[in-house]
Amino acid sequence: MAKILGGIGTSHVPTIGGAYDRNKQNDPDWAPLFRGYEPVKAWLAQRKPDVLVFFYNDHATTFFFDHYPTFALGVGAEYAIADEGLGPRAVPVLKGHAGLARHMADALVNDEFDISVFQDLPIDHGVHSPLTMFWPPSPDWPGKIVPIEINVLQHPIPTPARCWKLGQAVRRAVLSYPEDLKVVIVGTGGLSHQMNGERAGFNNEKWDRKFLDLIARDPKKLVAMRHADYIRLGGTEGAEEIMWLAMRGALSPRAKKIHQSYYLPMTTAMAVALFEEPQAKAGFKER
Amino acid sequence: MNPQLKGVEKLEGTYLFDLATSAKALRLNRFFHGFTVPGNRALFKEDPEAAFDKAGLTAEERRMLRELDWAALIRYGASFFCLEKLGRVKGVSNPEMVAAFRGESLEEFLKTRNVPGAR
Repeated sequence: MAKILGGIGTSHVPTIGGAYDRNKQNDPDWAPLFRGYEPVKAWLAQRKPDVLVFFYNDHATTFFFDHYPTFALGVGAEYAIADEGLGPRAVPVLKGHAGLARHMADALVNDEFDISVFQDLPIDHGVHSPLTMFWPPSPDWPGKIVPIEINVLQHPIPTPARCWKLGQAVRRAVLSYPEDLKVVIVGTGGLSHQMNGERAGFNNEKWDRKFLDLIARDPKKLVAMRHADYIRLGGTEGAEEIMWLAMRGALSPRAKKIHQSYYLPMTTAMAVALFEEPQAKAGFKER
Repeated sequence: MNPQLKGVEKLEGTYLFDLATSAKALRLNRFFHGFTVPGNRALFKEDPEAAFDKAGLTAEERRMLRELDWAALIRYGASFFCLEKLGRVKGVSNPEMVAAFRGESLEEFLKTRNVPGAR
């Protein structure tokens, strides 16, 4: 049976991928960002998951407002790197785990989570900007992904509570997959930032640090908050933090945060947090 | 009114992208979304007026685009994530766009940042 090893929460601002693409690891302005991802990269290299399931948001790249999905599950075997206006990043085509994804579609719909599905579409920086920091291609990607898009661009966007429940349903779906797969859940977005209006450039490090504490220790507090609270505390784009809630909802209550890093150089608070499930003993069936 | 958003109207300088905004600016945002296709970028670079005609943009939309009036574009209803694609095509960075939203020069905006070189 498939099992969940842990989870990762991470920002996805395009400059993270840009710093990787421009080899900025020794640039003093960027080195702290790279250092923050090192323990995550080492943990993944050691635990060797087969699949990363991503809760992420599209940026009006793959999808447009003529039909913007609230939730959409990628069920393809490949996803091209999207062209966001400068041509695609020079990284390999993303590999999808179609078998797990199809099973998840069946499981979610039968669990009354009527998710839409997509295939044969390119994916933007919401997935691969942070991905290269902790799962770099060498030369190809170390494994496969299953992408789950969440609308955070066009209100009404799903509630924090609904994202939490989506995470729980995804957990049930993954754990019921018959193949022995090792899976890690990733939620991307945030932390505080605002990219519109005179309030653009808003950040709130105090709130960001509280969020990083609560997501590990007391996520139900975050689940009970409204979007207006997230926007007031973390800016309009701080609402992206609901994707961390979906990730946390897909982990067990016993998952422990074993690493976090926070870096706020410019307009977006760049954070990463690593959660580990208790290691399954031989013969122990993880639920 | 979306109960999740009650109270957001009190935040100054904040423009939420909701269904009413999306409907108002759909043509403009579709034009920006089109920049994910190289041919559309090429047409816009070579003959912007022809690109505006093809997209059926209004006189107001064309003025904001000709002048790259970032603050007005956001107020009008551009989604930042669509506008970001115009930024890439025009070689304008996100910090420059954010400075314009705030009514600041890039230099003024960078003074408010922790690591001004991280661009």
